[in-house]
Amino acid sequence: MPDADPNRFVTARSTLLVDRFMTYFIKVGGLAIIAAVFAIFVFILLEILPLFRQAKVDAIGERHGPAAASLAFGVDEWGELPFTLTPDGTFHFLPATGEATTFHLPLTNTETVTAADYDQTQQVVSVGTSNGRVLQTKIAFTNTPREDGTKDVTAIPEVTGEFPLGEQGKPITSISFGESAEAKLLAVLQEGRVQASAFTVTRTMMGTSKVEKLWAKDFTNLLPGPPERLLVDEKAEHIVAVDAEGRVTVLEANEDGVEVFQPAFQPFADLPDKRIASIDYLFGDVSLVFTAPTGENRIFSLYIHKDLQKRQYGQTKELPKLEAGATAFVHSVRNKSFLLADNKEVSLRFATAATVRWQGQVDYPVRQATISGKYNRIFLLDDRGTVHDFSLDDKHPESGFAAFFGKVWYEGGDKPEYSWQSSGANDDFEPKLSLVPLIAGTLKGTFFAMLFAMPIALLGAVYTSEFMAPRLKVYVKPTIEVMASLPSVVLGFLAALWLAPLIEEKVPSVLACVVGLPASAILFGWFWTSLPDHLRSRIRPGYEFIAYLPVMLLTLVVCWELGGPLERLLFAGDFRTWWPKATGAAFEQRNSLVVGFMMGFAVIPIIFTIVEDALTNVPKDLRSGSLALGASRWQTAMRVVVPTASAGILSALMIGLGRAIGETMIVVMATGNTAVMDLNIFNGMRTLSANIAVELPEAPHGGTLYRALFLGAMLLFLMTFVVNTIAEVMRQHLREKYKTV
Amino acid sequence: MPHIKSNGRPAGEPLVWLTSMGLAVGLAMVFLLLYVIVTNGASVFWPKRIYAWTISDKGQTEVLWGELAKSQKKRVGEGDEIQIYTGNRDAFSASFRYVDRAVITTEELPKGVIAIERLEYGNAIGLPVRLALADGTTIPAGDDAFRGRLRSLVSEIANRRDVISVLEKERIGENSRDIYRQDLSVRRGKRTGDLAMVADAEAEIARLKLSYDELSATATALRKLQSADTLIIGLCNHKERSIVIGQIVDFHFPNELGLAARIGTTIENVWKFLSENPREANTEGGIFPAIVGTFVMTILMSVVVTPFGVLAAIYLREYARQGPFVRAVRIAVNNLAGVPSIVFGVFGLGFFVYGVGGAIDSMFFFDRLPTPTYGTGGIIWAAATLALMTVPVVIVATEESISAVGRGAREGSLALGASKWQTIQRIVLPAAVPGILTGLILAMARGAGEVAPLMLVGVVKLAPSLPIDGTWNDTDLIPFLHLDQKFMHLGFHIYDLGFQSPDSDAAIPMVYATTFFLICLVLVLNLTAILMRERLRKKFATGAF
Repeated sequence: MPDADPNRFVTARSTLLVDRFMTYFIKVGGLAIIAAVFAIFVFILLEILPLFRQAKVDAIGERHGPAAASLAFGVDEWGELPFTLTPDGTFHFLPATGEATTFHLPLTNTETVTAADYDQTQQVVSVGTSNGRVLQTKIAFTNTPREDGTKDVTAIPEVTGEFPLGEQGKPITSISFGESAEAKLLAVLQEGRVQASAFTVTRTMMGTSKVEKLWAKDFTNLLPGPPERLLVDEKAEHIVAVDAEGRVTVLEANEDGVEVFQPAFQPFADLPDKRIASIDYLFGDVSLVFTAPTGENRIFSLYIHKDLQKRQYGQTKELPKLEAGATAFVHSVRNKSFLLADNKEVSLRFATAATVRWQGQVDYPVRQATISGKYNRIFLLDDRGTVHDFSLDDKHPESGFAAFFGKVWYEGGDKPEYSWQSSGANDDFEPKLSLVPLIAGTLKGTFFAMLFAMPIALLGAVYTSEFMAPRLKVYVKPTIEVMASLPSVVLGFLAALWLAPLIEEKVPSVLACVVGLPASAILFGWFWTSLPDHLRSRIRPGYEFIAYLPVMLLTLVVCWELGGPLERLLFAGDFRTWWPKATGAAFEQRNSLVVGFMMGFAVIPIIFTIVEDALTNVPKDLRSGSLALGASRWQTAMRVVVPTASAGILSALMIGLGRAIGETMIVVMATGNTAVMDLNIFNGMRTLSANIAVELPEAPHGGTLYRALFLGAMLLFLMTFVVNTIAEVMRQHLREKYKTV
Repeated sequence: MPHIKSNGRPAGEPLVWLTSMGLAVGLAMVFLLLYVIVTNGASVFWPKRIYAWTISDKGQTEVLWGELAKSQKKRVGEGDEIQIYTGNRDAFSASFRYVDRAVITTEELPKGVIAIERLEYGNAIGLPVRLALADGTTIPAGDDAFRGRLRSLVSEIANRRDVISVLEKERIGENSRDIYRQDLSVRRGKRTGDLAMVADAEAEIARLKLSYDELSATATALRKLQSADTLIIGLCNHKERSIVIGQIVDFHFPNELGLAARIGTTIENVWKFLSENPREANTEGGIFPAIVGTFVMTILMSVVVTPFGVLAAIYLREYARQGPFVRAVRIAVNNLAGVPSIVFGVFGLGFFVYGVGGAIDSMFFFDRLPTPTYGTGGIIWAAATLALMTVPVVIVATEESISAVGRGAREGSLALGASKWQTIQRIVLPAAVPGILTGLILAMARGAGEVAPLMLVGVVKLAPSLPIDGTWNDTDLIPFLHLDQKFMHLGFHIYDLGFQSPDSDAAIPMVYATTFFLICLVLVLNLTAILMRERLRKKFATGAF
């Protein structure tokens, strides 16, 4: 035998290197993976943070216009070329660099512009002159992109029409114009008298349109006093008149004149100074924003009043007070935001949830303001004709804590409510983003799922662990695990297309089964165990459930058939019509009962397996001791085993709860997915998870809806995380406990 | 079990029966559900007889031919009604009809009825009348040569359909891909100012367009041949209807099939279901692309999840210092297994699709923008999302099986001078492989059955091509595997068919059949895992340590 290699105990360098490398690699890799898994939380958090950010407004420059007071102040869609209109009838277009361009209205020598109305959506300026003429100018903007990404915008103004209205020679002190696809409505104030004129627009096949005058009338007598300001909505339906005492009257135009739509009301009736400092519509023209001279800011919206049974303006919101009444007001033409400025204070607000998006001080009195069509620029015009440019970064104005979790009075609604409706048909749709009904829906679905799953899973687990013959256990547990593996899309499909139509007609039968099954089990058990010994020992302990199977089938058949008579007896022949009549709640085919039953398939096996394990792991000595002391097997199970394993049972219920909270496909498929807030078992719900599945594929990346859905996902994540952590801590606690017993 | 009191019952005995009810109901639910799926799913493939029902209602008599779809209690009033699959949607404007049982006077099996599977409008059911051939001759149905001729015509048509499909899908497809490629060169040339490149590419495009015209002319000519012959059948309302042979996929005479022939047809139907592409908004044909999509996605997911899950588990079990930190991590990993799948979908969409995919696009596929390549849902992102979702399953399973490896084996190895990694590599991991596999199979079963997150990251109702095939695209990282493509998935197929289908009556058999298949797949995976685990338990229970 040769001598042993003297180096035999020296580890090869390569082995050491590999070992060191693997140690390092596994440590880094393992930690990285664990970190990556938790990055999910961080990533979702980062996606939702912008929702709770305030608007960012920064001064980026100024441009100098004419010093004369401006009657209209507007800007193009991209926010590049603001313009003013001076009383001499000149438009001044003020580019960021270079010379201002001007455009002169065709006025006579002594004529001046005395009132103007600027429609930013259409880019139309209507002016009234000292001679009582009404002229309309349409401004077309063209743009050529510059190299630095900004746009070179040119304005092409054109006088498009002159409207003969009112008396010649008398100055017009207020003018307002509204235009929809079918109609135009013009109202002017001339020496305290209101003149209005309506036109119809008919479009020809060639794409041109023909304007016909319907009527022109004086409506001063419909108002309680001489008005100061007039406002016509963009649908060309309403004229709002405001007088010096703060009274607001709404008139409605019809085919041959105007009638009072809403008699005079005072938005600030409760204040000592009832006057109105500013009034304007919000985007969409169904809400009026008022400020009082003392700075109060209120919004009135059109909605159907319960008492009157007709649409009227009523106060829906009160926003934080300004220091003084607004001197400048402008609303965005993209969303429900508006900008208020008193002399030195500027405030950007969003109407839906009555939030202040941004507030700041400026050191010049603001006379006029405008927000660009893309909601990315703000321009303030001061008393010396200087235009101050501001960049506006506010990607999610409609969001915020109040919008997601508070009760919000939406436009058109008759009371504040929690509502989810993320998209609508029109551009001026107000998104309703309350997550509260979705959370309520999630809890409702979970509640019904647990209501059904909990008893079955707990009873089944207690039986399997405590009473069942060990030989059968080997087959039962895998069968229940098979149940856990059924894909939820399959359960959802069966729930909707098989179970829902089946149950719909058989609600009384289902109710009978719910009562009948436990009753039959107890009764049969009582009867069987009353039998003499030689008979009752035919069913060996541990095999009861097999003996119960035929009883169960019989009970099911009986209860199923009993449904019909029950329905006639108790529910007036048809449960589907009886339920809405008796409770006032809806009955839908795809309802919470169906969801609860099908979610049971997902939840039962989870609870069952964990409870069964927890019970089985209770030390044998406890059981033997109890039985030896003369307790029956039921007493042993209930008073010794179950209390010992109670932490494990609770933890199982928690995990089942977590699963039910997040279940998606069953809810998507087996309910109508309407967001409701009630506990009615016979209608559906919309859960957070279903909401994400339905809406996220269509949500534009980075938009408010997209982030709101991420917020929903975050809530789901947190809900399940909390529930599961409690369960896990309980389980650890249980493990400690077993160590000591 | 001895009873203490012979004539009294032990306390709480009826309540024991109550608990037995819980178990019985649970088991009954499982079997009921499986029964519903199996009976409905399997019966789709069984060739049904075609009945002739005579209906006399309000003095009018009518004969209906069709298959019995279902029988149920009437929604209004007493009695039963049946739903008949009459086929011939083009002629009757609907393929199903409900008939009150009470008005049916006779029910018989008409001889010689033919059921024709068509490319469009579902099946046609009727009595064959004659074949009108392109050369002007006709063969009446009574002729001995009729059936043979029809059979040979249909198979000829099927062959030509394959030729056209190859021509259109592969050659024309390749042609338009080439054009697109050249178009990208044009764009790149214009961007970089390389005018020679632009000119070359434009010339190439012109040449390709010419060959495209040639190819499509050939295809049109072949298509014309497809509609040369027609088959005329008589419907149950005594009207004749002609069916272009090119529309016929298959036909059989259901009332003449014996038991063996019916079993044969069933097998054939199953095979067609598994191997064909879907037709008519997925309500006809097969689910082949969905199977391939599910398969490729699950394999990709496994490839991603296994190394990461195992690595993390080895770290947690072998390298990390056991203490509060590791315990917290373990709780969190367990927790993560309970996070709803849709949350992973949300993350996948935000992070993988828009984040990673968007970055890849702006780096490597700049010329294709604004059309996204990787910056939109795709099979790679679906696999990554599901991998993330299932990683806790693999971590937990691996940890368990690693910790089950006995101390003795480990210490023996270390005592013999093996390094820590050598011990893990040679002793611990081999022993843990079955456990890891169990976890992986469970993960695969979950991945195959999961739908909600996939809806966000790349599943579609109809994918234009398979995620793996013979073409090598410019966007492929691995040849022939199109990671950026959207794909079809069995679970989503069920959702889409059952809920988004325009003709839900026609879709229901397909939904059941697909469900049946998916359930089989998932159950086989799960049962394998359960059996493996049981065997492992026994092995460790009898182990020497």
